[in-house]
Amino acid sequence: MTLQASERSVIDPGPRYRLSRGMLTVSAAVILLFVASAVVAPTSVDHSAFLGMLPFAAVLAIAAIGQTLVVQQGGIDLSVPGAVSLAVVVTTHQSAGDDGRLLGALALGLVVAIGFGVANGLLIGWRRLNPIVATLGTNALMYAVVLAISGGSPRRTTQLLREAAGGVTFGVPNSVYIGVVVVAVAAMVMKTTVGGRRFEAVGANPAAAAATGLPVMRYRAAAYIWAQILYWLAGVLLAGIIAQPTAFQGDSYLLPSVAAVVLGGTSLLGGRGFLVPTAIAAVFLSQLEQFVLALGVSFAIRTLVEAAALTVGVALYTVDWAALRHRFAGAAGRRTATTA
Amino acid sequence: MNRPTRRPRLTAPATAAVAAAVLSLGLAGCGASDSGSATSNTATGNGNAPAWCGSKKAVLGMTDGFGGNSWRLITTASAKEEAAKCPSITSFEYADGQGNTQKAIADVQGMVAKGVNALVVFPDAGEAMLPALRSAYKAGVVTVPYRVAPGGKPGVDYDVFVDTKFAADGRNWGEWIKKILPDGGNILFLSGPPGNSQGRDEAEGLRSVLGSDSRYTFIGEQPFEVTNWDPAETQKVLTSAISQNARIDVIVSDFGPSLVGALPVFEQSGRSIPAIAASDGNVLSCFWEDHKAKNPDFKLFTVSTQNDHSRLAVQHAVARATGGQVPASSTFPSLVFEDSTAEDKPVQCERDLPDDVYLSAEMSGADQAKVLK
Repeated sequence: MTLQASERSVIDPGPRYRLSRGMLTVSAAVILLFVASAVVAPTSVDHSAFLGMLPFAAVLAIAAIGQTLVVQQGGIDLSVPGAVSLAVVVTTHQSAGDDGRLLGALALGLVVAIGFGVANGLLIGWRRLNPIVATLGTNALMYAVVLAISGGSPRRTTQLLREAAGGVTFGVPNSVYIGVVVVAVAAMVMKTTVGGRRFEAVGANPAAAAATGLPVMRYRAAAYIWAQILYWLAGVLLAGIIAQPTAFQGDSYLLPSVAAVVLGGTSLLGGRGFLVPTAIAAVFLSQLEQFVLALGVSFAIRTLVEAAALTVGVALYTVDWAALRHRFAGAAGRRTATTA
Repeated sequence: MNRPTRRPRLTAPATAAVAAAVLSLGLAGCGASDSGSATSNTATGNGNAPAWCGSKKAVLGMTDGFGGNSWRLITTASAKEEAAKCPSITSFEYADGQGNTQKAIADVQGMVAKGVNALVVFPDAGEAMLPALRSAYKAGVVTVPYRVAPGGKPGVDYDVFVDTKFAADGRNWGEWIKKILPDGGNILFLSGPPGNSQGRDEAEGLRSVLGSDSRYTFIGEQPFEVTNWDPAETQKVLTSAISQNARIDVIVSDFGPSLVGALPVFEQSGRSIPAIAASDGNVLSCFWEDHKAKNPDFKLFTVSTQNDHSRLAVQHAVARATGGQVPASSTFPSLVFEDSTAEDKPVQCERDLPDDVYLSAEMSGADQAKVLK
C-alpha cells in the first residue's frame, strides 16, 4: 500500500505528504481509462473530445469538492441538484441575457447560496438534524425557488458568461483553470492551515475535538456553507458552458458528486478529506462517459458500464481485500503468495 | 411585432374556421401556470363566434401532466386564448400535474367533481391516465385527451383523441434532406429519452423517405441518439459524434433549441456547422442568423413545435360541450415553419423576444413573452 517509502525521510512519519490510497487508486484508474480510451476508442481522446469533456469535469470537480467537505463532517448533501439548478436559474434569469446585469445576478446567487448554506448548517450543525432529511428538505425548497423564478423555462446565458466560462484560452477551456484553482486552494487550506487541520479533526472524531475545546458545531455548519458556495460556482460555470441551460440542470449532479467523493477515497463516515483525488475522480467519471459514448454502444450499455465502474470503485475501498485474499489462500492452498 | 409574412396557417378545414374567428388576445398575459386558478371569460354576446362554438353554456377544464416549461406554458396559454374565442365558455379551469402521475389523476377527478362540462387532458403518463379519463367520460364530461396516446378507444373511454403524427415531421425532414443533399450523406438523429415514442415515430418517418436509398447513412445509435432533451447531454453526445465522424452532413433534432449550446463545437474543431433539420425555436433561428456567414454548410429547416395542438383539442371539447360544429379532423398536422433554402419560408429571428418563444405558434411572440414573464 505505501509505495515510495524509500524516498521519504525516516523522520517524517506524517501522513501529510504521503500519497493517499485514494490518490494512487484514482490516478491509476484515470491513467488506465485514458490508455483504454486511446486504444479502444481513439476518438474519445482527441482534441475536440477533450474540449467537450473537460468543462463538465471541472463543474463536477467543483461540486464534488463541496460534497467532500460535507462528507468529511460525517454528513451527506442531497441538495446538490437544487443548489446547482438554483445557481443556473438565478444567473441566467436575473441577468436576462444582459452582460451589464451579470455581476448583480452573480452576487445575488451567491447570497442566496450562502443563505441556504446557513440554513443547512443551522439545521444539521446546531439542531442536529439528520443530514439526509435536512438537505432533502433544503433541496425541495431550492426547487421551489427555481420554479418561482423561472416557471421552469430556460434562459440563454449572457455572452460575457458564455465567453468567460465556456471559452478556451491557450487551448484549454477556461472552466478548467477555474476548477484547478478551486481545487488547489481548497486542498491548501485543508492541509496547511490551522482551520483546515481542525476541520479534519472535527470530522474524524467530533467527541475528541469537542473535548479539546474546538467549536464542533461551527465547523460542521461551515462545511454546509462552503459546500453551497462551491455548488453555486459549479452552477455558474455550467450556465456559461451550456448556452441555454434548462431550469433543472443540476439534476444530473447528485450521484456523480457522491461517486467522485467515494472514488477519491474519502470515507462516508467522515474524517480525512481527499480533495485532489476527488477532483481526479471527477475527471475519471467524465471521461468514462465520453469513452462509453465514443464506443457507440446503446444507452443501456452506457448506463451499465458507468454503474459498474462506480461499483468497482466503491468495492476497492470498502472490501477488505487482505482478509479476502487470506481466506482465499487458506481455502485454495498455497496458490496465491504474490501480492498485487 | 413586424414579422415578415407568415406561412399559410393551419390548412385543415377544421381550423379554417379559426382563422376567421376574432382573436381575443387579452387573456394571454394571465398567469396560466397557476394551478387550479380559474378565470371567468365574460361572455360578450355572440356575433362572430367560430363554428365550433355552440350556444350552450359550458365550463372548460384543462389538465396537464407536467406544466413546468416554456413550451407547456405557451401551449396552455394558447388553449386559454382559443377557449376565450367562444363566449359560451363561462369559465376556464387549469391544473398542473407537476410531473406527478398521481396528482395528474387527482386533477382529472377534481375537475369532474368541480363540475366542468368539457375536459382537455395532456396525458403525459400515457395509459396510466386511462382509468381517470374513462371515469370522467362515464360521468358525462366531454373528455378530450391530446398529443400523448392514452390507449383505450374513443366513444368508450373518452370522446376523441386529438393526436399528431410525429412520423409526418420525420417525413418532412426526410424530404428536405433529399432536396439539399441529393447525392446522399450522413445523418445524425437526436431525440429524447431512450425509446420515447415520439423519437421512434420520427425515425420511422425519416426512414420511410430515406431508408431505402443506400446513399443516405444513419450514423450513431439507432433509431436515435439519446439526449433526454437535455442541453448538457446533447452537448456531450454531439461532441462525441463529431470526433467519431469525419463527416456529418445533417443533424436532425426534435428539440431544436437544445442544439444551440453544442453546435459551436463544430467551429472549435475547424468544421462548418452542418445542415440542421429540427423543430423551431427563436433561439435556434437567431443562432442560425449569427453563424450562417461563417458556416457555409449551415442550412436550417424547422417544423412547427406545435403549440397550437392544444387549440384543436379545445375546439373538439368545446364543440361537443356547447353543441357547436365538431372539427372535421382530429389530427394536428405537421407543418413546415422555416427553410433557409426557400424564399417563402424565411428563418425568423426576433432578437427582442426571449429565446424560448416559438414563432410558429399562432400566439404572437410578444404575447408569448408576456406569458413567460
